[in-house]
Amino acid sequence: MSDRTKILLLLAPALSIIILLFFGGLFVGLLRSFNYMPIIGLTEPNLNAYFSVFQSKEFYYSFILSFHIAFTSTIISATLAIGAALLLRRNFIGKSIINFLFQINLTVPHLVGAIGILYLFSQSGSFARLAAEWGMITRPAEFPELVFDPYAIGIILQYVWKEIPFIGVIVLANMQSLGEDYESVARSLGANKWQTFRYVLLPLIFPGVLSASVIVFAFTFGAYEIPAMLGANYPAALPVLAYRKYTDVDLAARPEAMAMAIVIALLSAVMIFFYLRYTRKRIRG
Amino acid sequence: MTHVSIKNLTKVYPGLTVPSLDNLSLEINSGSLTALLGPSGCGKTTTMKMIAGLLDQTSGDVTFDGTSILKEKPENRGVVMVFQNHLLFPYMNVQDNIGFGLKMRNVHKDEIFNRVIKMLDLVKLPNMENRMPKELSGGQQQRVALARALIVQPRVLLLDEPLSNLDAHLRFEMRDLIRNLQQSMGITTIFVTHDQEEAVVLADQVALILDGKLKQYAQPDVFYKKPIDVVTAKFFGGQNFIKGTSKNNNFSSNIGKLALPKDCLQGNGILTFRPENVQIGKGPKSVNTIKAKIIEKIFLGTQTRLKLSIKDEVIQAIANPNEVDEKETGIEIDINIPPSCLWVINN
Repeated sequence: MSDRTKILLLLAPALSIIILLFFGGLFVGLLRSFNYMPIIGLTEPNLNAYFSVFQSKEFYYSFILSFHIAFTSTIISATLAIGAALLLRRNFIGKSIINFLFQINLTVPHLVGAIGILYLFSQSGSFARLAAEWGMITRPAEFPELVFDPYAIGIILQYVWKEIPFIGVIVLANMQSLGEDYESVARSLGANKWQTFRYVLLPLIFPGVLSASVIVFAFTFGAYEIPAMLGANYPAALPVLAYRKYTDVDLAARPEAMAMAIVIALLSAVMIFFYLRYTRKRIRG
Repeated sequence: MTHVSIKNLTKVYPGLTVPSLDNLSLEINSGSLTALLGPSGCGKTTTMKMIAGLLDQTSGDVTFDGTSILKEKPENRGVVMVFQNHLLFPYMNVQDNIGFGLKMRNVHKDEIFNRVIKMLDLVKLPNMENRMPKELSGGQQQRVALARALIVQPRVLLLDEPLSNLDAHLRFEMRDLIRNLQQSMGITTIFVTHDQEEAVVLADQVALILDGKLKQYAQPDVFYKKPIDVVTAKFFGGQNFIKGTSKNNNFSSNIGKLALPKDCLQGNGILTFRPENVQIGKGPKSVNTIKAKIIEKIFLGTQTRLKLSIKDEVIQAIANPNEVDEKETGIEIDINIPPSCLWVINN
């Protein structure tokens, strides 16, 4: 048996699951989105589901909201993660403890984090009660609306909390493997600290930041559970909207749900493409 | 042209008790090329980083033309350091790499371009401005790194092992380039190296640093002719050390009495001379002629290495292969060591 065959055979169980679940799901989803559902008598494929998705205002509102959530969470997480990595690469007393605390929420599931946000930041949450008790507001309901709010602050807060260590760990490893010699060169050539960061360190760590933030962007754009738990009822994030359509009592709404899911996937791909192109030019140019 | 003065410079790294650099003092003349020589970990790179402002000193001072620079930020010292592995910014082309320092000083784009092109000519890399670092050979990268440093016209240029990453044939080319540029621009230059050959071929002055301490600071030939101690002599390839007594310009030891040059140490000491200064076949009438027995003969192509015994002592000599071709192992020959090639070091 050749090495190639051996490797393929060893990979087969994992590959078949990925192919079956991912491509299989995608294929079935595509068929449904083209209004092909023999079980309820739809046997003529067409683009009606897509037309109705693109004609609904709700879809556009949801798209803007999802884009806002993904973009804002990614930018804030990446910026704070770079800042954290810059601090954590220095030597200081208690570094290992701080490092451990920094990474600890990597292991906490998103849902648990969301419940934490709910308990802390909602208008009936701990911070609202504390603020009322300390006389900053007269009653907890006056606390600013941070959860279930139209600006998705609670959702973004949860993503930022969860994604800072994710990007931070990647950036920190990147910085540590680079060492400080490039920065030393820049300093001795006359760059001040800011110039050294802007023109040397940032472009050097950029590939790492980019790949981590693309993952974060794609995830936050397509994730369902956090917007479902912490988001406002209207407009809902795109995945929430798609799920609502999917679980509609009217089975005929399913093609629309599937069309929306396909559109979410395509939009993610397109946005990532432009994000990569734009940022690469900006940072390296 | 900047005179550099290093005064009692000391560095103790946090968590260590032994200083990595211990009270180093050096006067480095304007426009000179000085080598800090020593094995890895001896403190030479630490010294350079402290001069460049990339590392804080524990104590001591560094002055440029009499003014201390230690309180200045690295970017304001007028010191540029070229690292051993070149460290060209990988995402910038040659032009942007060389123009980096000028860009940081907000020099206009057009002027940067003109100066980069001139610099590329100086380092003999014309028309290379659009290449990326990964498209250059090691030697070319080294030139770009040098150009990037020189374009900002530093007061002091620091080079970290400037020849050690290069192939043998490129070393001489690079040596000439560094010397020519350094002399034509008159930049006071300090470089560190662990390779005594690199120090000797490039430097006006060599500072040998061992275990964080300055051993000897002199012109390169002095390390061969008048080493300060056995360790220094050995670092430069010295192999012959004979104990004895120096008195009235004569050295008495197991191998007999040899005439010394006038400025030698008096009293008990160690006589040293280079293997290449042992002359063979000059005849018994020359000064300092002694009889020696060949105990080993190794042909090395352009030279022959001999191990000779003189009474109880064994010495090493290097001879022209023609001179010793017919002399077999075991026979006795006359050797001669001119007084000017002898030196006595403190016991």
